[in-house]
Formats: sequence, structure tokens, C-alpha cells
Amino acid sequence: MAAFAQLVIIGLLAGGIYAAVGVGFGLVWGVLNIVNLAHGALVIIGAYLTWQMFAVWGVDPFLTLPIDAIALFVLGYAVQRGVINRIIRAPLLFTFLLTFGLNLIAVNVLLLIFKSDFRSVTTAYSGAGLELGGLVIPYIRLAALGIALVMAAVLAILLSRTRVGLAIQAVGSDRDAAQLVGIDLRHAYAVTFGLGAAVAGVAGGMIAMIQAITPTAGEPYTLQAFVVVILGGLGRVSATVVGGLVFGLVEAFGQSIPGSGSVFANAIAFGVMVLILVTRPQGLMGRLR
Amino acid sequence: MIGMPASRTWNRIFVALAMAVIAYAVLAPLSSLDVLQSLGMPLLTDKLWFRLATITAMFVVMASAWNIIGGLTGYAAFGNVAFFGIGAYTVGMLITKARWPFLLALPLAPAAAAVFAVLIGLPLLRLRGHYFAVASLGVGVAVGELVQNVDFRGEPLFGGASGLFLPILAVPNRDLYFFYLMLAAAAVSIGVTWAVLRSRFGYGLIAIRENEEAAAVIGVNTTAYKVAAFALAAALTGLAGGVFAQWNVFIDQENSFPIGYNVEMILMALLGGTGTVFGPAAGAVVLQLLIQFLSGSLPITLQIPFVPDDAMPVLAQVVLGVLLTLVVVFAPRGVIDFFGGRSALSIAYLRRSLRETSI
Repeated sequence: MAAFAQLVIIGLLAGGIYAAVGVGFGLVWGVLNIVNLAHGALVIIGAYLTWQMFAVWGVDPFLTLPIDAIALFVLGYAVQRGVINRIIRAPLLFTFLLTFGLNLIAVNVLLLIFKSDFRSVTTAYSGAGLELGGLVIPYIRLAALGIALVMAAVLAILLSRTRVGLAIQAVGSDRDAAQLVGIDLRHAYAVTFGLGAAVAGVAGGMIAMIQAITPTAGEPYTLQAFVVVILGGLGRVSATVVGGLVFGLVEAFGQSIPGSGSVFANAIAFGVMVLILVTRPQGLMGRLR
Repeated sequence: MIGMPASRTWNRIFVALAMAVIAYAVLAPLSSLDVLQSLGMPLLTDKLWFRLATITAMFVVMASAWNIIGGLTGYAAFGNVAFFGIGAYTVGMLITKARWPFLLALPLAPAAAAVFAVLIGLPLLRLRGHYFAVASLGVGVAVGELVQNVDFRGEPLFGGASGLFLPILAVPNRDLYFFYLMLAAAAVSIGVTWAVLRSRFGYGLIAIRENEEAAAVIGVNTTAYKVAAFALAAALTGLAGGVFAQWNVFIDQENSFPIGYNVEMILMALLGGTGTVFGPAAGAVVLQLLIQFLSGSLPITLQIPFVPDDAMPVLAQVVLGVLLTLVVVFAPRGVIDFFGGRSALSIAYLRRSLRETSI
């Protein structure tokens, strides 16, 4: 029973990160109809920003998160406005290839700058944690889960209560009608992608505190983000959060099976994805689009 | 315009040039034969030449194979590297564990890849669009991971992280042997594409690409056709993997399941023109040589000030990414569209393709 509770806690903590990574991915996919293969790269850019500010300038990693968000928003806005908007009406293979190309550029530029060494953010409080029946829950992971949930809530409120959010939702449900009522499509798309990138950047900043990072460390997160969004169901922030938490649990239990382990992270993610796609394509919480 | 249109002339020059290059590539290796060497024939090819030419032929196979599922059927397969790896590991396992001779093991590489494609194709090909693309990407990643990490009674089943070492094949003129073997695989891929495009099967695939519901209504068994196209692509890709395993002698997860191949083969097909017979092959030759050039593997190398030599392969990837972006944004119908003489390359052409897809 204790082992079971332990797995649940581990799963939920990991699930918070998956939710944070998945939310931005799901927003871009739902509104822009783009599966952003550069999402993992955005995450890892955020991670390196946090590392850079912490290791070189001595800023507390949690204080770097808002800066990650702003920097990635600007980057995302520019990329969407300058590049992705130009092929938004092309067949999906092209958006796919384009974002893969962007991923390739980002990862290799990071490799040129930071080399492939492992980097980690280790603070004075990195080892500290809450002791709970023999299990130590690191404060950092708890905080990451909290930040992920708050961030998702803020995004959901932004989308449903503000003018910009309503414009984004309008563009997502009918591009032409949105344009007819006077929404600037290019701007709305760029803001959407920027928001997705900002959330990814914060997720990356938290990932830098939890694991050692390399320029290629973001790639698994792209596939995982996809699985999380499919698991929850496309189109709502809350569904993606549920998807993230469920995925964290599935992974924790999957890796606890004897003979399994973290080396099978992608295989487990893929297995979950195929199972969901074949049995319940609208996701656990979703409506069919 | 008097005589033939300028684009036709360009087309002819282009084809003649391509024929000359192919003739050279196919015949030059013969100069390494002992008979010709003893007659004083100058050696036109060395180890490096063979390595580049064999890899290029390998990509011709993969790009042509992808074209069958991606270009003809319109399913954006993003995980074909799984079939390459399965082919490589089929040959590797049969030779190292079961001690089969290479030529007996090789036919099982495409067979294993095709069987696997049928098994995963049945559920996956029910998916459309993004879902199929990412699901197939997941296959590519997951199969590589399983091959590296699956244990059986505490022992890695497929050689684990340390990979598999195959005995060196005892044939005279090994380089020549494997080059012609890979070239034969390339010829088979192009031949298969040609035959498919002229068959009822091929028309069925194109019908599926254009409109799957309509294809089903006019009596195309869409499931069977899609799975067959996927299996055919898998078989050809697996064949390339099988030859690669014995040629390279060493296989592991990294060289048998490189995620980058997934995109390189698509970019090649796209550059040359998807849905055509020779397009993907031409794209493969051009892009592979470009990749090798950028990463400094060609005799002629690029020197960029302030960039150390060891950073060149990384920089090559950046250039590849930029190229991918440019092609997708400016020439979504492939460069064959203007080199093949269908439209003239001009600023107006680039602006038109940009306007068609942007908001």
C-alpha cells in the first residue's frame, strides 16, 4: 500500500511537468491546427535561460520563470509572425516539416552555444523536501506541480475571460468568420503561438531544476506533449492538465513493472498514445472535433 | 517562341546531365577491379568515394520508399526509420546469433519490415493527418528504444547499448560489392515505384490521396491498399537496412534508428517532387551530397572563418534546418516543379507559392 501511494505521488509530481509541457502544445494545436515539433526545443530554450541566469548571474531559478515566459513569448510571437504564418494554409506535412526544421535549427544552435555537456541547476534547497511516511517529496517538485496548475488556470481564465483570449478561441473555431468580425488573424495566431511558447518556457525552467539538461533533452517532451494532449482531449486547458496527470501516473506505474524502467519512457508514451487513439480518439475528457 | 519552349530545353539539358552523372557513378567503380587495374586503368574511386556513393544509394532507396506511402498515398509517415532499423537488426541477429550466411538472411530483412508494417499499419492507418504522422513518429522512436533495452533472462536480447558486431563478409572487392548491392536496391525501389504508378494499385493509392471517402465509394478497398502501400515502403526501407547492417559491420540503436533519417527522406522526396518516379531519387542524391559537403566529409570542404572544424557537423544540421524551412515556405511543390520544366523559377513563382499558403 505504501508503495502504491509512493507511485501515485511520484506520478502526480511528474504529471505536473507533463501538464505544463502539454498545455502550450495543446493550445497551439487546437487553435492553429499545428503539431509543433519544435515544442520540445522551446521547452529546452527555457531550461537553458534558467540555467544561464542561475549559473552565470546567480539569480534564484524560481525568479527566472517569469523572465523565461516573457522571452519565450517574444520568440514565439516572432517565429509565428515571421515564418509559420506563411504556411498556415499548406497541407499538414508542410507545417510538420517546418516545425521540425525549426527544431533542428534551435537544437543545433544550442549545441553550438552550450555544447552537449549536461547542465544542472542545483540550489541550496535542491535536496530539501517534505518527509511523508518514508518518502521524501522534494519542495522543488511540489512547487513545480503548483506552478503548473496555477499557470494552466491563468491560461484558462485568459482564454475564456479576456478579449484576446476570446479572439484566440474565435480564430480557433472558425478562421474566416473571425476575420469577418475584424480579428487580426496574423496577430491572433502570433499571440497564440507566443502564449504556447511562454508556457513551454516556464515548463523548461522547472525542468532545469529537476533534471540535468542537454540541448537534445527537449525532444522526448515533444512526443510526450502530444500523448498528453491526446490523452486529455484536444481543445481545453483543463483536459490537457488531466491528461498530463494521468500520463504521469501511467508512466510511474509502467516504469515500476519489473524489467521496465526509465529507458522505456518513449515506448510507454507511444503505447499509451496508440491505445487511446484506437479506443477513444476524442481523449478521456474530450469531445470529438 | 520559336522552336521548343525554353523550359523544355532546360529539361533536356537537365536529363542529359543526370544521365551522365548516373553513368559515371555506375561505371566508375569498375576501375577498381583487379583486371582493369593491371591494365593500367586509373583508379577513379577510393574508399571515401564508395562510402559516399553507397550511403547516397541507401537514401535513394529510403526516399523512393517513403514516396510510396507519403507521396502516392498521401499518408505523412514520419517513422519509416523503424523499418530501416528492423531490416538492419533482422540481418544482424540472423548472422550473429543464428550464423546464417548474409545472402540467405538478406531477403528476410524486407520480409520482417513488411510484416511489422502490416501489424502496426492496421491500427495506425485508421488515423488521419496529424494523428497518423505523430503516431508513426512514435513507432520510430519506440522501436529503437525497445531494441536497445529489451532484456531476456538478464541478457540484452538485441545486443543492448553495445550493439551488434557482424563478421566481415569475405568477398573480393567488398566496397564494390556493397555499392552495387545498394545500387541494385535503389534500382528496385525506383522500378517498384514505376510499376506501382502504372498499375491499378497505384491509381487506387492516388485516389486515396486525393479523397479517401470518394476512393472507397468507387470501390477501392482503402484499408487493404493503404496497408499494402505501407508494407511495400517498409519492405524497401528494410532492404536498405539489411544491406547497411552487413556493409557497416556494426549496428546499434544510434546508426540503425536515427530519428533524423525520418525527416531527411521526406525532405529528399519533397525536394525532388513527391508522387513522381525519379523525383525522390534525384532529391536524395542532391541532398545527401549537400549534407556530406556541409559536414565536411567530401574532399572539397567548406572553410568558414571563426567556426572550428568540429562544429561543422552541428552547423550542417543548422543549414539543413534552414533549407527545410526555405523549401517548405517557398517551394512547397518541390524544386522539380521548376527544374523539371513545369514552371519557371522566378520571383513571381516564389511569391505565388508564398501567397497560396500564408494568411
